[in-house]
Amino acid sequence: MPIHLYDARAFYERNGMTGRPRIAVVALGASNHATMCNALTRAGAQPVACRSADELDGADAVVIPGVANVAFLIDSIDANALRAPLLDAISRGLPALGVCAGFQVCFEACDEAPNRTTLGLFSGRVRAMDAPKLPHMGWNRVESTVPAFTSGWAYFAHSFAAPPGGAATIAVTRHGAVFASASRRDNVLGLQFHPERSGAFGAAILRAFVEDAGRRC
Amino acid sequence: MLTKRVIACLDVDGGRVVKGVRFEGMREAGDPVERARRYCEQGVDEIVLLDITATRQSRDAALDTVAEVSAAIDIPLTAGGGVRTLDDARLYLAAGADKVAINSAAFADPSLIGRCAAQFGSQCVVVSIDVLWVRTRHEVATHGGSLQHARDALEWGREAQARGAGEVLLTSIDRDGTRSGFDLPLIASFANALRLPLVASGGAHDASSFADAFLAGADAALGASIFHTGDCSIAGVKQHCALQGLEMRR
Repeated sequence: MPIHLYDARAFYERNGMTGRPRIAVVALGASNHATMCNALTRAGAQPVACRSADELDGADAVVIPGVANVAFLIDSIDANALRAPLLDAISRGLPALGVCAGFQVCFEACDEAPNRTTLGLFSGRVRAMDAPKLPHMGWNRVESTVPAFTSGWAYFAHSFAAPPGGAATIAVTRHGAVFASASRRDNVLGLQFHPERSGAFGAAILRAFVEDAGRRC
Repeated sequence: MLTKRVIACLDVDGGRVVKGVRFEGMREAGDPVERARRYCEQGVDEIVLLDITATRQSRDAALDTVAEVSAAIDIPLTAGGGVRTLDDARLYLAAGADKVAINSAAFADPSLIGRCAAQFGSQCVVVSIDVLWVRTRHEVATHGGSLQHARDALEWGREAQARGAGEVLLTSIDRDGTRSGFDLPLIASFANALRLPLVASGGAHDASSFADAFLAGADAALGASIFHTGDCSIAGVKQHCALQGLEMRR
């Protein structure tokens, strides 16, 4: 299966869009921040590391990348006084993408972060998965449950997951049980898999996210 | 359904891919970025990049290589070699790794596994275990196979799991680079005893050897020299495994 690393910068140049969308990528000590920034650049964005509220100013979108323990992630967000600015910007319509742990931290609570209140952008609690093999590691099918999303092979690496169902779920995946592999609520998109590491399928999702952010800039 | 993974391994030394037999007699095997890109285009599921010199002096060169390889691919990248501390792991992530492999330092101080998991999550922590067959059992070797320990390999695997590892990269030094097939009893013993995903390494020979490793219980199987020489294609491995009824990403 050939994989083409589509570079959307040409799209912006062709369409006379001078400023590539500025995307604040939350970078607080854990996360595969570099990988996410590379993928966003290929998708046509201009990623900037976000370590404080200052970097949210003027951003066209925000990404909370994965590869973190959720307790460490929410504690880092609070230690850097990012919770209120993040929630404020998102409530005002800033497009937001949470990936893996960055998706899980968007729920109200998570088993990996006991005794903590997480961001609450999606309702419900992220739970420890129940499967013979954990973490759920590798390529699995993402099955879209709405016409506006697509199905494909994606790369997963996680031990916690959100139960499916509810209006926000837009795709599901099975490992042991079925869980929500993608959710959307208004301007917030959450992905349990890693779009930055999921070949052409993930690249198309990031491209759509960046193009959406580009309409605002 | 979760697929079995075919992984290409790049052992790097000073910015070049190298490959030996049983961890010795290293020979050059190309440019890491060019290789990673080619394997990615051929449909490999993941790249593992190991700095085999693993010295402080080689650190910056290894991080540069990780950054270049990471930027060239859109599939997961595991990086390792010389990870002694939490900050070492963080440097690999900052360079562009998605998972970090730890070996000798975790064996010397197993608390490193839990400390990494507490920040990066278990799914990021790959414990790499190099094993040698010694008389009646598989024992652990560290420091690129040069230090042998009288510790049962599976017992160490169990401890790594208990301490929060997210994956085991299990390399048979006896089979490494020999193209004699994976050590199937070793794979089966780990797969039966551990809940963690298991990456089998050492002895990849042809497409059927990958299928054998998967059927023995490996979740992923890793090849180096057979892919570097072009004797075996990734697409060929996947096609063969799919014909054996194994779920593969095609």
